[in-house]
Amino acid sequence: MDIRIHDLVRTYYSEGKQIRALDHVDLTIPANRIFTLLGPSGCGKTTLLRCIVGLEAPDDGEIYIGDELVFSKAKNIFVPPEQRGLGMVFQTYAIWPHMNVFDNVAYPLQTQKLAKEKIRERVSQALKFVQLEGFEKRPATKLSGGQQQRVALARALVAEPKVILFDEPLSNLDAKLREETRKELRSFLTELQITAIYVTHDRIEALALSDLIAVMRSGRIVEIGEPKKIYFNSDSQFVADFIGRANLIKGKVERLDGDHALFASEIGPVRDLNSQDIPVGQEAYLCVRPEFIRLSKDLEGAHNSYNGKVESLIFIGEAYEGEVRIGETLLTTTVDPTADFREGDTLAVSFDPDHCFLLTT
Amino acid sequence: MFKKPTLTTTLIIIVGFLTLCPVIMLLLGSFSKDFVSFGQFTTSKYVSAYTDPDFADILLNTVIFTVGSALHATLLALFLAYVNTRTDLPFKFIFKIISIIPMMIPHILFSASWVLLLNPSNGILNRLFMSLFETRDALFNVYSLKGMILVEGLLDLPIAYLIIAPAMSAFDVSLEESSKVCGASNWRTLFKVTLPVLRPAILASAILVIVRSLASFAVPSVIGMPGRIYVLSTHIYRNISSGFAADYGLAAAIGLSALGASITLIYIYRYLTAESGKFVTISSRGFKPTLIKLQKGKYPLLVIVGILSFVLILLPVIVLFYISMLPYSMPPSARAFSLMSWNNWIDVLKDPISLLSLKNSLFLGVVGATLGTILSIFVSYVIVKIRTTASGLLESLSFLSFSFPGIVIGVGFMWFFVRTPLYGTLTALLIGYIATYLPYGIRPLSSAFIQIHSTLEESSRVCGGTPFYTLRRVIIPLLIPGIVSGWILMASMFLRELTLSVVLSRPGTEVLAVQILRFAEDGLWGRLSALGIIMIFISSLLVILAAVLGKKFSKLEVVDR
Repeated sequence: MDIRIHDLVRTYYSEGKQIRALDHVDLTIPANRIFTLLGPSGCGKTTLLRCIVGLEAPDDGEIYIGDELVFSKAKNIFVPPEQRGLGMVFQTYAIWPHMNVFDNVAYPLQTQKLAKEKIRERVSQALKFVQLEGFEKRPATKLSGGQQQRVALARALVAEPKVILFDEPLSNLDAKLREETRKELRSFLTELQITAIYVTHDRIEALALSDLIAVMRSGRIVEIGEPKKIYFNSDSQFVADFIGRANLIKGKVERLDGDHALFASEIGPVRDLNSQDIPVGQEAYLCVRPEFIRLSKDLEGAHNSYNGKVESLIFIGEAYEGEVRIGETLLTTTVDPTADFREGDTLAVSFDPDHCFLLTT
Repeated sequence: MFKKPTLTTTLIIIVGFLTLCPVIMLLLGSFSKDFVSFGQFTTSKYVSAYTDPDFADILLNTVIFTVGSALHATLLALFLAYVNTRTDLPFKFIFKIISIIPMMIPHILFSASWVLLLNPSNGILNRLFMSLFETRDALFNVYSLKGMILVEGLLDLPIAYLIIAPAMSAFDVSLEESSKVCGASNWRTLFKVTLPVLRPAILASAILVIVRSLASFAVPSVIGMPGRIYVLSTHIYRNISSGFAADYGLAAAIGLSALGASITLIYIYRYLTAESGKFVTISSRGFKPTLIKLQKGKYPLLVIVGILSFVLILLPVIVLFYISMLPYSMPPSARAFSLMSWNNWIDVLKDPISLLSLKNSLFLGVVGATLGTILSIFVSYVIVKIRTTASGLLESLSFLSFSFPGIVIGVGFMWFFVRTPLYGTLTALLIGYIATYLPYGIRPLSSAFIQIHSTLEESSRVCGGTPFYTLRRVIIPLLIPGIVSGWILMASMFLRELTLSVVLSRPGTEVLAVQILRFAEDGLWGRLSALGIIMIFISSLLVILAAVLGKKFSKLEVVDR
């Protein structure tokens, strides 16, 4: 089921100041995809999620879930959360501590007053799905963080909602468990063929899980795209910087040759870039991710190659984190841990034009 | 979500009626000549109330009594809290008992037991002292301001302790440690660092005790009135209890000044407690304070604490039981034991008014606490979970009655009830009780609500539960510990209620504490003691029963994950 949002506004007042949590948001979330709202804290992503679920009422705008209008300021419609038929996993899981696992998971079915037999069957199916068979009688407080997370997922899924929402569900798990759970969640959701809306501030989580990512900033949606598009070819400097570490090199488009652009930058001319429809003479940034910067001792010959000096090299286990200076510009790079470089070396710095992109300022 | 404002409005109307009705009626009443001519404006009551030549003395007595009690209770509480949190004194469970148990002994019985011990003519301790030293002078005359302060201070000790002890244990010990590193001794550190940092808590405790003793009626009536020492509360009582000449207008005029003083003090108290939150630095590092090793000082301290807990908890019960077995008061002796019988108990159990008061108090305790708790649940929900201007108003309204002296509110309600068919009914008492003691129900419930994270409620809504379903299946079960403690607190308050009841109780609606006061006025100490022991027994039973039921109903393990 798709979700359409028109011109949504939500304003908070805090200590006399007005904060626009949602600033005229227009958004269509396609059916049966994993859709992520990504952004720094305070960007409005959680507010948007809560407005969709019905835990908050926006000040203006419209929300459709499928064909049903669940919120409209103009028509004075507000469908309360219990009638929206959604599933949600909370950041704190919100497992009720006075109930056991069975009662927690059975709760959405009990509100619908289904027959006891039917409830038992559906709960055991849901628990099986999240691999918690046999945990029915366990008190909810006697579960590990990962298990609580699965109970929360089973509870969100048990009533077979058309849409399931996640509010930073992995942020309370430790790093290793977070990675495993992320993979499981991806396979659960793919198997279910369900519309999932996922809120996070963690870019790796967003990239790994999503079919589509919407990046938010100050109550607005800055960019929507598939993970690779967002990572490799963002339209916005904010998104490029937020989604991964990025070197932004200043310059302007000097010549266009079909789709290919010649970019006169502060480190020298860069050839064969995708023009991104930027006109000649336009000031722009070239975005190069650290992992695509190659260093070599061979100073001659390569395409788009510049001489740079290694300013620092820090060993972080899987790689070196390096800083290379080309003229006045300092670039961060990731260097193979086996590489035989030292601080102070002068090296050839190069990058493939396919792995970097231009951004308008 | 869109229905909440109507709930808030309904509650504001109910709570607003309960708290403001007596105040408004008090004000109107004070400008009226009598019940019949209500509404005809006159200032004659103010003139006669404040030009009374005795009034200055009464005010002075009141100031000495309240401030003295505050000093007494606060100093004792400071001592106990310091010893508990900062020394290695053994048997620390005593402190918990000291801080809770005295609340279960009704104030009027505590006061009566001290009269039995220390009255100048036949107080047990005075008699023992006289025969021991062969003198005709009493050791201590309890019928004096000193006696009143002694007893009131002990009665208010738990409250002072409950304010000071948490501040003492939340105190960042590194402040003290740095003082010691700088070379100061333990004593110097105590006076130069510890006490000044705790100043807001100490002041808050003193002010709260002043408010409580200003509203106190048990000590001034049982101890003060026989010694002809009148304070504001007994002065008001004197004007409405004198048979045919009861003057509720005069009582209202006097009561308004007590009410004004109380409200002012409570505002200072709330300001101070808000300040003390900023002042007392709460260390989250989880270091336990280094305990001062008492070594030889341990034993005298232990004796002092032991005597204190004996005096607070066991002595009143023992004295009451002892006197209940005797035909008249006398010190323990072979003769006394030979005279013992159950006659007083039989008299009480045959006395129709005592039995009626028992029945009425039980009804008020159980039904009143239940209704009061239900109201508290809704009010706390709105205060904690719906943060709007309206819920802020509700919060202020519901805590307002905390500062109302019971007897003054009683006079205010009297002006109201006398104009309705509720006059002289148990319902009138019920309404008055709930109005006066609502904060005691709201406090435990609102702290329970604070512990229930809002997502627990939200997840129920998303799972398809309506607000009411959510209340029934999520919020109430999680609230049961708070509900139980609120209910116990209210029920035990209602069972022993005296100050409001002396005004509102009429023939047919006698309650336990009022009946005990009548016995004290008539000098029937044996029957008083028998009925008192029954009262203590019932209220303890009720508390235990509620605690057991609460445990059974709530399978709750940990609320806050």
